[in-house]
Amino acid sequence: MTLVQTNPTIGDEQDRPVNLWRDAWHRLKRNKLAIFGLGIIVLLAFVAIFGPYLTPYDFLSQDLQARNQAPSLSHLFGTDDLGRDVFSRVVYGSRTAFLVAIVVTAIALSIGTALGAVAGFFGDPYDRVIMWLTDMTMSVPNLLLVVVINASLKTPIARWMEAQYMATLNPFYRETIWIDFLLVFGSMALISWPPYARLVRAQVLSIRSRPYITAAMALGLSNRIIMMRYVVPNALGPLIVAVSAGLGTAMVLESAFSFLGVGVNPPTPSWGNMISDGLRVWQHYPHLLAAPAAVLGLASVAFSFLGDGLNDALNPRGTK
Amino acid sequence: MNVEPLLKVENLVKHFHVRLGAFGERTATVHALDDVSLDIQHGETLSLVGESGCGKSTTGFTILNLHRASGGRVIYKGQDLTLLDDKHMRPFRRDLQIVFQDPYSTLNPRMTVGEAIGEPMLFHKLAAKTELNDKIAALLQDVGLPSRFASRYPHELSGGQRQRVVIARALACQPKFIVCDEAISALDVSIQAQIINLLLDLQEKYGLTYLFIAHDLAVVRHISTRVGVMYLGRLAELAPRDALFEAPLHPYTKALLSAVPEADPVRERNRKRQILEGDVPSPLNPPTGCRFHTRCPIAADICAKVVPEWKAARPGHLVACHAVNSSSA
Repeated sequence: MTLVQTNPTIGDEQDRPVNLWRDAWHRLKRNKLAIFGLGIIVLLAFVAIFGPYLTPYDFLSQDLQARNQAPSLSHLFGTDDLGRDVFSRVVYGSRTAFLVAIVVTAIALSIGTALGAVAGFFGDPYDRVIMWLTDMTMSVPNLLLVVVINASLKTPIARWMEAQYMATLNPFYRETIWIDFLLVFGSMALISWPPYARLVRAQVLSIRSRPYITAAMALGLSNRIIMMRYVVPNALGPLIVAVSAGLGTAMVLESAFSFLGVGVNPPTPSWGNMISDGLRVWQHYPHLLAAPAAVLGLASVAFSFLGDGLNDALNPRGTK
Repeated sequence: MNVEPLLKVENLVKHFHVRLGAFGERTATVHALDDVSLDIQHGETLSLVGESGCGKSTTGFTILNLHRASGGRVIYKGQDLTLLDDKHMRPFRRDLQIVFQDPYSTLNPRMTVGEAIGEPMLFHKLAAKTELNDKIAALLQDVGLPSRFASRYPHELSGGQRQRVVIARALACQPKFIVCDEAISALDVSIQAQIINLLLDLQEKYGLTYLFIAHDLAVVRHISTRVGVMYLGRLAELAPRDALFEAPLHPYTKALLSAVPEADPVRERNRKRQILEGDVPSPLNPPTGCRFHTRCPIAADICAKVVPEWKAARPGHLVACHAVNSSSA
């Protein structure tokens, strides 16, 4: 740290407000991999949002005369065993992937941030209870938990929905897709929040002991303001990195669950269940496996690159 | 001094409990502050001096309830501050402010100078949103910074500029009393002088009262009304500035003052120095009786056994030493 000797009443530097976020953006721009990742993510997000306008076919329309076709100009990624356009299905799969990734990460982040912040800021006994809960959740095998939740809750909820439909004739209760979403989102969020809680707790603990927090207390500011204006902004950097990585992880996780048959159920396209279907026939029709797998891999790598780039960009004192 | 003091500190005690050993299997108590009593008068600058770790800063922090007192009372406006929880302490925090030692770490790196100064004004409803920018500019001007600094971030400022911002932030609360906790120790000598003069100007302008915690005796002599000397968590002596510097009574004060170098080389060569033997004992296990007896050149038997009484040797000149007789006056 150098003391810049300037006459305090003159101050001759230019009056550019240097923002820490803007600095981070400048550093991020220099990282080619991160920008590559960001580009892929933006592209995938664009495809997911405008999917219905981009797909040449409906993802459900079957053409039994054109089954298992190799990629061609009319079917970019070929067709599957029911003659459905794989490209259209991959595009729709990206909607599922982004929906799951965003919703699950948002829920997990909310739970994790709230619990972690309380644990870090208020200390024992909250800390002890919350960390105990966190450790317990982390110690349960993820797949097992999701399978158990799906296996035990799916039927009762479906039965309840059916009964509601019979009673009210509200078509909402016929949409079994909501059960899928509820169970997938719920169970994935349930296993995804502990890392966020731990990260936020560690951040808050380290920030809480900084002198500027003592200074804020000495100013007589309320705990809420200290939390929102002093602790959270300073804890945000690592959290953004974790969220970027978490979005990719959630996509992969959803695919893994779909692959195992506990994720989003067919016919809703998901990269995971497409991979699962493709795997059975990959020796004859490799494109059915390759297309969704490649896109999933690309998305995962893109989030990972962006996360790494953000990590470096938000740490000005890093080695790079 | 029969005027009602601004703030009364009575027998303030602060003990920290620490865990020792690889597994924290032993607990010990750090006697950071024991039985400290002092009055702070309206408009004065009371300095606290002493070696590192003697409890100067702890005194400031405990008075402001940033450390919870282990015992004793701090009376302000008839209220014992040590009894208040965070929420009830808040209205008092406006009046009682602090400027910290390290201006680098006491400013939130994510807030501009203007936000840092404006925050307490908005929170304590001392300024409406519409007049906020004018008030921030006025405060910046008070501390000798141009108003366009309001849009700067702390990391763009030098140490001296940051300390000015910290002072402006404290002033934003319109305080009556400011603890300057080693407020200039982290700064360059040339900047120190600027900040001291700034503090003196502000004291005059706003009628502030300072508790000035420092270890630079020359600075203390320059700015203080009264000076307190601390040793190992206790006050050794408290007296008006001239009385303390000209006629110190406590042997520790004498030793401390004899360590101040003279600017004149001839006088410096002939200066008598009193070198103390040994090191400061650990506050984990402070000596019995008078805490200074292990190093005191005139220690008697009683010093190891009885804690010396905090008494007035002359009017307004308080000292804790068995060798000094209390005044009959």
